[in-house]
Amino acid sequence: MGDSTTIDVESKGKAPVVISKQEKVGGNKKGIAILDLLLRISAMVSALAAAAAMGTSDETLPFFTQFFQFQASYDDIPTFEFFLISMSLVAGYLLLSLPFSIVTIIRPHAAGPRILLLILDTMAVVLATAAGGAAAAIVYLAHNGNSNTNWLAICNQFGDFCQKVSGAVVAAFVAVVILVFMIMLSAFALRRH
Amino acid sequence: MMKAGELEIGEAKSSTPISGVNRGISILDFILRILAFVGTLASAIAMGTTNETLPFFTQFTRFRAEYDDLPTFTFFVVANAGVSAYLVLSLPLSIFHIVRSSAQKSRNILIFFDTAMLALLTAGASAAAAIVYLAHKGNTKANWFAICQQFNSFCERTSGSLIGSFVGAFALILLIFLSAVALSRR
Repeated sequence: MGDSTTIDVESKGKAPVVISKQEKVGGNKKGIAILDLLLRISAMVSALAAAAAMGTSDETLPFFTQFFQFQASYDDIPTFEFFLISMSLVAGYLLLSLPFSIVTIIRPHAAGPRILLLILDTMAVVLATAAGGAAAAIVYLAHNGNSNTNWLAICNQFGDFCQKVSGAVVAAFVAVVILVFMIMLSAFALRRH
Repeated sequence: MMKAGELEIGEAKSSTPISGVNRGISILDFILRILAFVGTLASAIAMGTTNETLPFFTQFTRFRAEYDDLPTFTFFVVANAGVSAYLVLSLPLSIFHIVRSSAQKSRNILIFFDTAMLALLTAGASAAAAIVYLAHKGNTKANWFAICQQFNSFCERTSGSLIGSFVGAFALILLIFLSAVALSRR
């Protein structure tokens, strides 16, 4: 009887230590999930800003010449149309993935939502990078032209249009950087202890 | 003590199927890495060796086309070369994962670098794709002339080299998935 009571006391003494380690791991994962949610919201804002800046980039010059177009808008260049559609898709995806992010906060040990978010975030990164890279190539060309191929720098005429479009590309790359960071956070939080 | 012994045997039984699947994932990871390396290297070489000189010339257009006439293509070659160098250097780490399938920190490092390289590769490939599209179609609104009408073999070479780059990007995406799945299984 004396042995059994001492064993009981020992087991009662050991149990809280085991639970608190798991709680600590869960607390870490919860912190990572909250950071992920905040980053997701800021990436969504950035992607939305990129799409909005590209979509409202119309410019009409007050003069015109015989050979040059006096109106510039994003749908004159198919690459910019692709950019607008892609960034809208990325912003929409980020909005729809907010509930999944909240689920990872509530249940920090579940791996399913995290893996799903990681896979979908990877696809969003690729889409956003493709849109940003393609638009950056066209914007670079518009700023500098290319003497070897006789492509003129249209930014010399359309200043406002160029500024808006360049700003949209920058916002897209900001969204890409935030998304890459989110992927790394998800991978880090997937570790099993 | 008997109960502790039974628990140990039980843990050993349940962990071998998981580490077997992890080993399969690591082998697939190695194969995909080699595939991505071949794709990106072929792209860099195909784009870097473009050089077309037309037999005639006119007053206003250039009669020679090289990849470094367009800065975007230079960026494409550099990005592809960088990513293929990274893939070669990450092969030992991949082999280490085949041998020791339960490594976690090194898999995290691999995911981090894979994601960064994926972003670089996709940016280069999409920028080159935008320029290739412009070279094929031109743009009447901006008065940009479609140079593919003159430089046929240059255009074909550059368009073909995009394929290798996109194959490499797709393989990198799969590599990130595999590493994430292997991380979450223990």
